[in-house]
Amino acid sequence: MLIELTDIRREYQVGTEVVHALDGVSLGIARGEWVAIVGQSGSGKTTMMNVIGCLDTPTGGRYVLNGKDVSRMNDDELADIRNKEIGFVFQNFQLLPRETSLANVELPLVYRGLSAKERREKAIAALKKVKLDNRMMHKPTELSGGQRQRVAIARALASEPSLLLADEPTGNLDSATGEEIIRLFEELHGLGHTIVLVTHEPRLAARCPRAVRLSDGKVIGDGPGQDVAWQDRAQPSAHPAEAPVAS
Amino acid sequence: MIRAFFDNLRLAFGTFVAHPLRTMLTLLGIMIGVSTVMTMMALLEGLRLKVNKDFSQLGANVFRVDKWPQGFRFGGGNRMNWNKIAQRPQLTVDDKRALAEHCPSVSRTGASSWQPAQRVRTGDTETQANVFIIGATVEYPELSGITIARGRMFNDTEEVDGRRVAVLGPDVADKLFPSVDPVGQEIRLKGRPYTVVGVMARRGKIMGMFNMDNQVMIPMTTFFGAYGKRRNVSISVEAKDADSVDKAMEEVIRVMRQRRDVAPTAENNFEISTNESMAKSLNDLSNVVTAATFGVCLLSLIVGGIGILNIMLVSVTERTREIGVRKALGARRLRILAQFATEAVALSVFGGLIGIGIGFGLAFLGRWMLGLYTAVPAWAVLLSVGMSSGVGLVFGIYPAARAARLDPVEAMRSE
Repeated sequence: MLIELTDIRREYQVGTEVVHALDGVSLGIARGEWVAIVGQSGSGKTTMMNVIGCLDTPTGGRYVLNGKDVSRMNDDELADIRNKEIGFVFQNFQLLPRETSLANVELPLVYRGLSAKERREKAIAALKKVKLDNRMMHKPTELSGGQRQRVAIARALASEPSLLLADEPTGNLDSATGEEIIRLFEELHGLGHTIVLVTHEPRLAARCPRAVRLSDGKVIGDGPGQDVAWQDRAQPSAHPAEAPVAS
Repeated sequence: MIRAFFDNLRLAFGTFVAHPLRTMLTLLGIMIGVSTVMTMMALLEGLRLKVNKDFSQLGANVFRVDKWPQGFRFGGGNRMNWNKIAQRPQLTVDDKRALAEHCPSVSRTGASSWQPAQRVRTGDTETQANVFIIGATVEYPELSGITIARGRMFNDTEEVDGRRVAVLGPDVADKLFPSVDPVGQEIRLKGRPYTVVGVMARRGKIMGMFNMDNQVMIPMTTFFGAYGKRRNVSISVEAKDADSVDKAMEEVIRVMRQRRDVAPTAENNFEISTNESMAKSLNDLSNVVTAATFGVCLLSLIVGGIGILNIMLVSVTERTREIGVRKALGARRLRILAQFATEAVALSVFGGLIGIGIGFGLAFLGRWMLGLYTAVPAWAVLLSVGMSSGVGLVFGIYPAARAARLDPVEAMRSE
């Protein structure tokens, strides 16, 4: 297993109230899998993504990533894990606006301490994978939304991580461009990359071989994408949030 | 480590290029502070070098006996009691003679007195009312590093008889007799005629201020007749050789105390000063001015540092998202801290370097246009670089620490 989550809990103190964002989640993801994590807003999927991405530490449970227990690591150790093990693809791209595509893709490699030459070679290779090697010297503002997301994916790939972690990667794109990005993920999955994709869109989750559904910080469904993606719609009564609001 | 430093430096310059105006304005404080330090230090150092040179022009093995302390004194020792000093007896030409007679280690003594701000006339021209008239005994010029360039010094007979003869400073000679040999010509002081017997060699200005060439030297007796008899004089004492200077000083003190009947427990009621002690007192003054200037410059550097603090806080706030992304992609806390600290230090060192350039420029300009004697001491350059980087670090560390502490998730969410 690449990812082993065991009884993961994440509690937040909001005023006097304790919110259980993750309430005992256990999950295993094998190398080479493509898993969607779906759920309504407030279901805990953002917290899940932060925990899997080592941006947040769980308050309870155990998280083993690629054989390393990351659930008790400090900030700097987590930074190293993020740098080596995880390639992030964020919803709003999170590219540095002043830097070129190439410099953006090089960024994680900078923090790995590679030489300028190595950085450049790896970044160019990653941009080739997303077919943007002809836009290397463009700044994000000079690129379309789809191109920006491809730069972001190239950045995630550049560090050759064991996990690609995408947060609503099509959220800010029109449907045609979104489709283009999904195809790119399919391609990457075909090449053997492990992908975890966090989304609230059932249509997107349905495209994934496996989907995990979260609700109120608990796993309520885990199975093939087509089955789990529409789980909500199939049983609307089980989820009061989905019920029409009385006016 | 070194690679990270250069990466950070590149990022810092990227920020400067992205905000040139803001960068320049921030630099201004440091620039002004450092250029002030540099200019003032250049002036003071120039002054100091010049003073030491001027004072070493005085005769060898010569010290002076005065009523008043020479120069300025700061700190150390008792505060001067001016009233008490004013009540001291005057020094006289008799004292001068007595010292020559009763001190075996003394070879010669000379006396001088002066009257400032006099006008010197000839039949058809006159100087401004800024000439120093020096009453002198014949030994005085040699004991004070004055040499006669043309003609001669007045002699003993002329001095004792109170003849109206004069030796001109080169500036006075040039002003009154631009085209003829001044020797043998007539000048007028307070309406009375004097015959010019000689012209002094050029000596320049002490500290660039007091012009030693704008003088007229006349016999002491004549001087008393013209400007008042009961005048205090300054006595120059020459020891037989370099080894007997201390001994001569002791003898002079003993003889002076005897002549004045000073009680054994009382302090001297006169002052002994050497070239070194006079130069030292002026150096002390320049040290005080240096320290004061430094304080002022330090204030302006602090103001500059606050500018940097301010702009760095803005920079961190502005780039919260960028910091979040960098941390998410694996930048450690220290790396982010170093990035912003480097930016702050680079900013202020950059300002410091420009300030040093301006300081050199002003020092050069002062020398070239105003004829000031300036010298930029190496320690001032090092100090300026050190202080500006120190200011950058001190005022940059807080914003940098704030950046390093940011939570990546929160930071990326900010707009």
